[in-house]
Amino acid sequence: MIYEEMTKQIREAAKRLLKEGAVDVILAYRGGGLNEMQVPFFVKKPEDAELIEWGDRCYQNLAPYVHGLNKKVGILAKPCDVRAIVQYITEFQIERDKVTIIGVDCIGMVDENGNARPGCSECRVHKPPVYDEYIRDERAANLPAIEPKAGETTLEENLERFQKEIDKCILCYSCRQACYGCYCKTCFIERDMPDWQPAEIDTGTKITFHMGRAMHLAGRCVDCGACEAACQSGVNVRYIIREVTKFIEDAYGYSAGMDAEEPPALLTNKFDDKEFGFLGGERHE
Amino acid sequence: MKGASSMKENEKKTPNKDWDPVIVAFLCTWCSYSGADLAGTSRLQYPPNIRIIRVPCSGRINPLYIIKALTEGADGVMVSGCHPGDCHYLAGNLFARRRFVVLKKLLETCGLNPDRVQFTWVSASEGGRFAEVIKEVTANVKKIGPNRIVPGFAEDCKEASAE
Repeated sequence: MIYEEMTKQIREAAKRLLKEGAVDVILAYRGGGLNEMQVPFFVKKPEDAELIEWGDRCYQNLAPYVHGLNKKVGILAKPCDVRAIVQYITEFQIERDKVTIIGVDCIGMVDENGNARPGCSECRVHKPPVYDEYIRDERAANLPAIEPKAGETTLEENLERFQKEIDKCILCYSCRQACYGCYCKTCFIERDMPDWQPAEIDTGTKITFHMGRAMHLAGRCVDCGACEAACQSGVNVRYIIREVTKFIEDAYGYSAGMDAEEPPALLTNKFDDKEFGFLGGERHE
Repeated sequence: MKGASSMKENEKKTPNKDWDPVIVAFLCTWCSYSGADLAGTSRLQYPPNIRIIRVPCSGRINPLYIIKALTEGADGVMVSGCHPGDCHYLAGNLFARRRFVVLKKLLETCGLNPDRVQFTWVSASEGGRFAEVIKEVTANVKKIGPNRIVPGFAEDCKEASAE
């Protein structure tokens, strides 16, 4: 089995890194979760590395654990996790020297019924863009990158879809908790000066939350699908963030988490940026 | 629950005869606010529909201000800053420009009419242009009709102001 072969390679790499003292802790997966899911596992001793397991249910994004961990960390990372870590580096949240990335090729994860996980069915990146150790999976080489479709829908269809999604929302904020990118110490919805969110649950509150979150993640989303997977009400607003991120890629040529040297699109500017939609300016088609 | 009725239905409702749009205008203090001042001192006529909020720089405007204004019932939002290259803080308006372009795309993706939100540059010496811009923005918003994104809210406001 390919997964067993990969597991063996990962264990060897983890053991070597811990013995060399290159890392204090390695974030990886081990078996034994509910529904045969692989659960997050912190490896601190070389002998524990034998418990590491890699499979098709390692779907939790491990990147958020790295954030704020003031140690030399090794991390077993799928391409989406790698992109999340690179995004942390470009946003000055962690230092590149402190993190050792064990990049793994990924052909997509499945849930307990064998269906593709939310982010995986439309995955664009099957190989880690940045890594220190590399674990190859031959099957990832020929997988197609599924590009998000550009807006072919009318405004009314968009509104209908958006409304259908937010009507299901109960504002539990699970999507924010699960998201790698929502790391603010105080989220805007929890501030009371200014009071963005009244305690009442109504359409306006939901619009403010989902659009505010989409704006914060615009151009930074790595499409890991954690928000959609975490939602108990079945709300999918990831498509909005995905479309806006695609727009930023077209307009500013910035792709989230692919290059640790490049500043995020909204944290930089150019003098001759296009003014799509400005009064008297051109329109984006 | 307020969200129960369809936003689409509410967007389509024909406006009242005496409906007059309320447009929230965020103006940067160094250029556009002075431009508005000049328009006033030059006795230029422009529609009285805007409610001006003065901000230090167009880069200071959090996109949430705009989203919040729309969900709280403003019919339109206008943002104006210094022309690119003229920013008092060197690059505030250049950062803002990217943010606004993305916000427009976001509004469109969510199905809200992006023309409710208008961005432009007005300098301190362009009092005439300021009046023209306000005329254009007001005409655009009138064409779109009243904001019914959050049903019930506009009516609440009307009752409150009538009392």
